Amino acid sequence: MSTSQTNSRRLASLKGICAATGLFLPFLMNAQIDRTLPPVPAPAPIVNIGEHKTFTLPNGLRVIVVENHKLPMVGVQLRFDIPPMSQGNQVGFVEMMGDLLTHGAGNRSKAQIDQDVDRLGAQLSANSEGVYASVLKKHLEALLPIMADVATAPTFPSDELAKAKKRTLSEVQQRKDDPSAIGEAVGRSVTYGRSHPYGEVATERSIAQVNEQQLKAYHAKFFRPEKGYLVFVGDITEKEAKALAKARFGDWKPAQKYTVVDEDGKQTIEGIGEVRFLEKPAIPRGPRRVIIVDRPGAAQSVIRVGFPLNLQPKDVRALSAQVMNTILGGGVFNAQLMQNLREDKGWTYGSHATLDADRFNGHFHTSANVRTAVTDSAIAETIKEIERMRTTRVSPEELDLAKRFMAGSFARSLEDPRTIARFALNTYLNELPKDHYATYLKRLEAVTAEDVQAAAEAFLHPDNAVILVVGDKRKLLHRLEPLSWATNPVVTELDHNGEFFVEQFEPVRDRTAQQVLDAHIAAIGGREAIGRIKDMRMQLSTEMKDMPLEIVQWYGPDGLFRSTVKSNGSVMREEAYDGQRAMRSDSQGVVELEDADLGDLQFNGHPVPEVRYGPNVERMVLAGRTTVDGKPVYKVHIVLATGGSAGDYFEISSGLKLRRVEQRSVDGRAVTIITDYSDYQPAGGVLFPRMITQTGGPAGELVMKVEAIDLNTGLKPAFFATNLPERKVEEYIEPEEENPLEPTPDGVKDE
Amino acid sequence: MKNLICSSVIMLATTAPAQNGAIRYTEFDLENGLHVILHEDRSTPIVCVSVMYHVGSKNEDPTRRGFAHFFEHLLFEGSANIGRGEFSKHVEKAGGVLNANTTADRTYYFEVLPSNQLELGLWLESERMLHAKVDQKGVDTQREVVKEERRQRYENQPYGSILIDVLDRAYTVHPYRWPTIGFMEDLNAASESDYQAFYKGYYVPNNAVLVVAGDIDPTRARELVSRYFKDIPRGADVTQPVVEEPPMHGEKRDIVHDRIQLPAVVLAYRIPPTGSADFYAVDLVNRLLSTGNSSRLSTALKDQQQKAIATGAFSLPFEQGGLAIMYAIANAGVEAGALEQAMLAEVSRIQNEGVPKEEFAKLMAQLEMENVQDRARIAGIASDLARCHMLLGDTRLVNTEIDRYLALTPEDLKRAASTYFTGNRVVLHYLPMSQKQP
Repeated sequence: MSTSQTNSRRLASLKGICAATGLFLPFLMNAQIDRTLPPVPAPAPIVNIGEHKTFTLPNGLRVIVVENHKLPMVGVQLRFDIPPMSQGNQVGFVEMMGDLLTHGAGNRSKAQIDQDVDRLGAQLSANSEGVYASVLKKHLEALLPIMADVATAPTFPSDELAKAKKRTLSEVQQRKDDPSAIGEAVGRSVTYGRSHPYGEVATERSIAQVNEQQLKAYHAKFFRPEKGYLVFVGDITEKEAKALAKARFGDWKPAQKYTVVDEDGKQTIEGIGEVRFLEKPAIPRGPRRVIIVDRPGAAQSVIRVGFPLNLQPKDVRALSAQVMNTILGGGVFNAQLMQNLREDKGWTYGSHATLDADRFNGHFHTSANVRTAVTDSAIAETIKEIERMRTTRVSPEELDLAKRFMAGSFARSLEDPRTIARFALNTYLNELPKDHYATYLKRLEAVTAEDVQAAAEAFLHPDNAVILVVGDKRKLLHRLEPLSWATNPVVTELDHNGEFFVEQFEPVRDRTAQQVLDAHIAAIGGREAIGRIKDMRMQLSTEMKDMPLEIVQWYGPDGLFRSTVKSNGSVMREEAYDGQRAMRSDSQGVVELEDADLGDLQFNGHPVPEVRYGPNVERMVLAGRTTVDGKPVYKVHIVLATGGSAGDYFEISSGLKLRRVEQRSVDGRAVTIITDYSDYQPAGGVLFPRMITQTGGPAGELVMKVEAIDLNTGLKPAFFATNLPERKVEEYIEPEEENPLEPTPDGVKDE
Repeated sequence: MKNLICSSVIMLATTAPAQNGAIRYTEFDLENGLHVILHEDRSTPIVCVSVMYHVGSKNEDPTRRGFAHFFEHLLFEGSANIGRGEFSKHVEKAGGVLNANTTADRTYYFEVLPSNQLELGLWLESERMLHAKVDQKGVDTQREVVKEERRQRYENQPYGSILIDVLDRAYTVHPYRWPTIGFMEDLNAASESDYQAFYKGYYVPNNAVLVVAGDIDPTRARELVSRYFKDIPRGADVTQPVVEEPPMHGEKRDIVHDRIQLPAVVLAYRIPPTGSADFYAVDLVNRLLSTGNSSRLSTALKDQQQKAIATGAFSLPFEQGGLAIMYAIANAGVEAGALEQAMLAEVSRIQNEGVPKEEFAKLMAQLEMENVQDRARIAGIASDLARCHMLLGDTRLVNTEIDRYLALTPEDLKRAASTYFTGNRVVLHYLPMSQKQP
């Protein structure tokens, strides 16, 4: 605001000087510049939108011509209007059809097409929606027959299809280690849903299903003149374009009749089978939820916050929505997300928001790559900024900057004559008013702060947002849980294809779970040495939210157990198990622990719980071989007698237990707790981990250091008294059924 | 009103550049040594204002690797007259865009603005050159931002470390041995005196070229340039480091274990300085190997042998001698060794059999097309003008550099391949972590 006032003041004085001298140039030479203020702009230049011409061939092909003779070059595209459809269990065949158009057409092989195009110095590419070319004017006539063959007479040679499948499989495989590719693919999938045409992700399985018939059928069905737009841009006249279009595409007839899709969106296409077109656009719904794709040890987290939108380009609110998005995080450096996450916090190289108006189904998403430690904060700030757009009116300065920037971008885009062609094509495809682009600057100027807020209210849905994080699960899980409003599970883990995560194992056939367990027991000292431990006191130190804690655990004979957690000398929490009953005492008072909590204490109430797996463990399965932080391990899945389950990871080379993963219910929300063990050192001839790191619990990440281990000090049963009031002992309590919907940590279901 | 008449009269005096004609420009030096290039093109009402400084990562202290690029970030923080965060605001409020980039040899800043905002661009760039200012918050924030840039572009990206790994092995003493992005520990060590010395030593008019291109009246632009830049004091003469990098004797071979699924092979060869006669021959070899779907690597490795899913070959055009880098990412199930053999076979084929006439003609046709495409955007022309003046030492090359390619013969390619693509090279195999022997 202040700047524009000063500007107008200076403008007044400049006018005075100019009038007094009557000449512009002498003024410039003599004037002293005032560096303290930005210069006054000259009058704004007029932005001229170039024109396009259009005509239709008798076969229905619409031709668009944009004449611009600045460079001796012509761009040509043949684009088809195709409704998006779900590809089902053969996802990927539509994209592959596009790729293979240039891999054999007419009587040319792929090698011939490549050579013929390159010899002209031209560029020719294709995708599932059309064919695109750039060429020097002098070679246009030579290129067009190749382009016409590619678009109208592709041959889909079977050896090329085999190669393409192999290559695509490699690319899918490569995505496993490409966080941005995962963010893009899984991001689409979780935003639109897995069966939505925009949300489907090609996988190893689906690529294998692709066959020649599908490609041919799809091409025949959707690459047809009356659904096509042939666009010429550049050093060409309408007359030349007409002659070329007629010569190369005039005789082109569609192979079959175009049938209208049924009401329910389903249609059977010969050669493809039953396909489903998008019936209704996906809209934001469901509670705010967090999805994670694990990248152990990742340097950064890729974060995306998004939701689908029913927003079409022809919607009158689309422009104010774009202004809103520019202020929030689109294009400008001065956007709120960029300023907050980068310029204020230094958390990221860049954070952006994308609001995509699409004639079938739009969407919104923010994206940023941030270092692991600030992942949750960056998401929280992102949501805060999205919410702020809804609740707070943008300042006149912000609005002004966004509008002027967008006006400038519009003018800059016209440097490229293809922009005019894009405008024309968009106008047809999106059914825009004829003067949509001619009135763009005027409509932009009219957008108010109220319009922006209304657009935010209509198109930003932070409460329904899907938060995708591609990052180090072990470090992030407990930090992400509070951001999710979902309960079961709180955080959903997906794989690089956007499918439910299933831990991958190499099968192990030369040993059993019991043998792995026995090897572990032998590695830490053997049953005999462990049996000599009658009681044990273990003292640990840790910090919780910068508060130092001292934890002491006593293990008595027959599984008796007691523990205290102290902070600065005062006891904050105490637990005891007297062999029958268990209690917990903390600031909330004293409670008796029952069911799963009791089971937990019974299970863990031994210095080396593994030696008592026999009575406490219902079932033990050797899941197979995998790695923990790059170390080869066996995973043993155990189901406790009390119904809970856990996964133990034993290092193959040393036999030591490196990790335990358990799923627990905390305040009715299913959370995953990961405990890592390291720095094994002996006490009484038995190796104990001296460093225990736990994540996923309500306390966040706990790094616990074992300070002391005292063995066989003669602890008496009375020391483990729970002092709970007497109660009638019930005969038998049926263990609660586990919720069958609740996934166990590694996908192995309870019986 | 008067103002409006003045400028519209001036506008009439212009003509559009002839199609396919040369890029027309005028150039001159200010007294303080600033070189200025003006290029008029009225076809779109936009103007590009840019400054290239002859400083890059090769000018860095070996204990401050990455400083030149970090400093580029800092120079958006403001000036004596522009507060923190205001620099970009001025540009965006005017409807413009801005950015910058840094290489081993130079740092480049630019704004593209509506043409009525020419003076704003000149004011901003002159402020940056005259008295840039950075506060502690700016330093601390940008240091973190650059670290995230490094993580995003080099660390959290499959094969992201290729350039870093190659440079480290291709050079032993030359500052080209470290990457422009630098190292975090060096950036942490940077202090106030580093900023002062760098700014005073390199950000001086006599070490810079200013390009104003687009919808301008050259006469008026010249006056405005003079107004904004003439009083910026000349600095001490800048000497570029001259480091004699001993020739590579033999091969440097290494295995890099990365978080990847598919192996990759990278070959790197030392090549002559950008702008030198043989540079163009080597660059054309790279084009033969990699430009277009009918290129040698694409045809042999991807289509015929199906050993690779991606291939490439490009030149790092360094002032004091860069690298030719060739890479391929293996198709599933293909070993790095087999991939390397296939790449080397393509190099040998050029060395032994040369290049057929027809294929050579294809390279020329591709160059001709690219030369036209490079003129599509005013911002591209501006940076090319700056590059030709500063790194090639002759602005005229903006129009004639292509002749250096067109003058080559198939024999030159064969010779260049034999002279430079030798056993003196870096060979890197990128393997998945899972293949690491414990």
